[in-house]
Amino acid sequence: MTDTDNLVLEIYRNVARIRAAELFLQTYIEEHGFGGFWHPGLGQEGLQAGAVQALRRSDYLFQAHRGLGYALSKGLSFERIFADLLGKTTGTVGGKGGGTVHFVDPALGILGQGGTLGSNFPLGVGAALSAQILGEDRVVAIFFGEGAAARGTLYEAALQAGVWKLPVVFVCENNGWAISAPFERHSPTKNVADRAAAFGFPGIVVDGQDAVAVHAAMSEAVERARGGQGPSLIEAMTLRLRGHYEGDRQRYRDDEGALDPVRSRDPVDVLRTRLDAEQYEPIDRAADEEVEAAFALALAAPDAGPEVAFKDVWAE
Amino acid sequence: MSTTVTEAQTEEMTYAQAINRALAEEMRRDDRVWMMGQDIGAMGGVFGVTRGLLEEFGERRVRDTAIVETFIVGGAAGAAMTGTIPVVELQFADFLFIAGDEVLNKLAKWRYMHGGQLELPAVVRAPMGLVGGVGAEHSQCPEAMLLNAPGLKIVLPATPADAKGLLKTAIRDRNPVIFLEHKGLYRVKGEVPVDEDFTVAFGQAAVRREGNDLTIIATAMMVGRSLEAAERLALDGIDVEVVDPRTLVPFDMETIATSVEKTSKVMVVHEAPKTGGAGGEIAARIQEELFFHLDGPVVRIAGADTPIPQHPVLEQLVIPSVEAIEQAARELNAL
Repeated sequence: MTDTDNLVLEIYRNVARIRAAELFLQTYIEEHGFGGFWHPGLGQEGLQAGAVQALRRSDYLFQAHRGLGYALSKGLSFERIFADLLGKTTGTVGGKGGGTVHFVDPALGILGQGGTLGSNFPLGVGAALSAQILGEDRVVAIFFGEGAAARGTLYEAALQAGVWKLPVVFVCENNGWAISAPFERHSPTKNVADRAAAFGFPGIVVDGQDAVAVHAAMSEAVERARGGQGPSLIEAMTLRLRGHYEGDRQRYRDDEGALDPVRSRDPVDVLRTRLDAEQYEPIDRAADEEVEAAFALALAAPDAGPEVAFKDVWAE
Repeated sequence: MSTTVTEAQTEEMTYAQAINRALAEEMRRDDRVWMMGQDIGAMGGVFGVTRGLLEEFGERRVRDTAIVETFIVGGAAGAAMTGTIPVVELQFADFLFIAGDEVLNKLAKWRYMHGGQLELPAVVRAPMGLVGGVGAEHSQCPEAMLLNAPGLKIVLPATPADAKGLLKTAIRDRNPVIFLEHKGLYRVKGEVPVDEDFTVAFGQAAVRREGNDLTIIATAMMVGRSLEAAERLALDGIDVEVVDPRTLVPFDMETIATSVEKTSKVMVVHEAPKTGGAGGEIAARIQEELFFHLDGPVVRIAGADTPIPQHPVLEQLVIPSVEAIEQAARELNAL
């Protein structure tokens, strides 16, 4: 197999794993409910896996809230992810989770997740600044939706990252919907990527349903960042297949009859066109088995006790 | 940790110079310490506090930013999580509100939210208080607004020695610290220990003046005014004890309890508006924990519930004067 074949297989493995987990969770939430809100990433698995694949383990990841694809692709195990979702002490936040949680694992470069959208721009650029000050060759990837791109925090952080040529890649997942608002309603221009010009770095639009295309764009941006040439913004055009949260009835949404034919392609199908059935079928089966086994383990883990609510305020 | 000034060699310097000294010493001691803020480099800060640091430590560690307060604080949080110790400056403490999410949500909560997996050893230096005609949005004392966000340490240095010793402790602390320098104290001089290991521990109140009749708990610029009021009261035989908590989080209730048990009468004095001020919290704790030691109400002398007027004469009318503190103490003592 060529390097390209290997890369496609590696990306596919993560895309299939994310998809298996997304579908599993959808069913689980329908049947059992959940101690919080789950923001599904269904339909966005390709770009999440493709982009994170271009990072090293030592690179830093600042996730968005949609799904578990970022953390999984960066190396976090299903067992810990599910334990977080279920509020178990074996999760990354030691039982402080439940529903949409704040996956964290500094050893994997996974530096938490914000509850206030757009707050990860200053944090991520700060982490990049830290790398520059310490002379490390780390790169920071900051994921955000086109909705969060409206925040002034992007303006401040991107401006300062541009001035100091910091090693950052801003990855916008443009899925067309900020809860109930279609992108046209809160953007005067067609693309978030256009905004990068104001900060003096490239803004690239890429087909977010093609994981390999996202990986290629991301690799170039990461190389640029690592080489000291500064930030980039990648806007991956994708589609939110489900509601804002699992259970959202989406009465505001009327795009079902007029889905963009490119953006509504399934990222799993797009990748499969590059593979043979005998290549992806075992991966799919293994992914389902992995998800079920990991979920069972997470479910059996201890629940968070009352003491969890009162600890971790201070470093002693 | 030493908090005694007498045993070390001292040098007279201003509160601003003491802060500068602490910054320089800590940056020499630890390569991970760095700074950013508006005009802190070439200019040395609008109040001159960071003068000479760019020259000594270079542009990598002393960074002038654009007008980007959310980035200054949020960037500090991100950098603190990744192995450095940022000591950032907001030009005025009022700008903490511009970076509200970064201060109250990120710095205060991210360690907790993430199950203790992240550490945020950042210091935000924020000059507060009246300095003469800088107006409603450049003169506030915001400590009470921070007090309701668990996860932040809150420091209010009142003397040059404390400014140095507390800032060094702040930089060495593994938690986020909001360091509220009082602009009206920048030029005040005092003896400051030159020892590079001199620090002032958090959560240790200073008894600025001992007395038996009445306790005044005062912070920042109000410490000096309370001491002045105490000297006037002493002429009439009223013996006032002045306690400076120095840090609101952590808070030294023990020193206050010792004082209140002795005097039975307490006043809390601060510059911020009375309603919702830190004085209310301190008074509440005193009545909860020391009710049977009290011989009168816990009195609050604080700023008026108005914005700070820009006019340099009018602004003094909305914060406690020496006379107001003296008068209130006389009344409480007479009860």
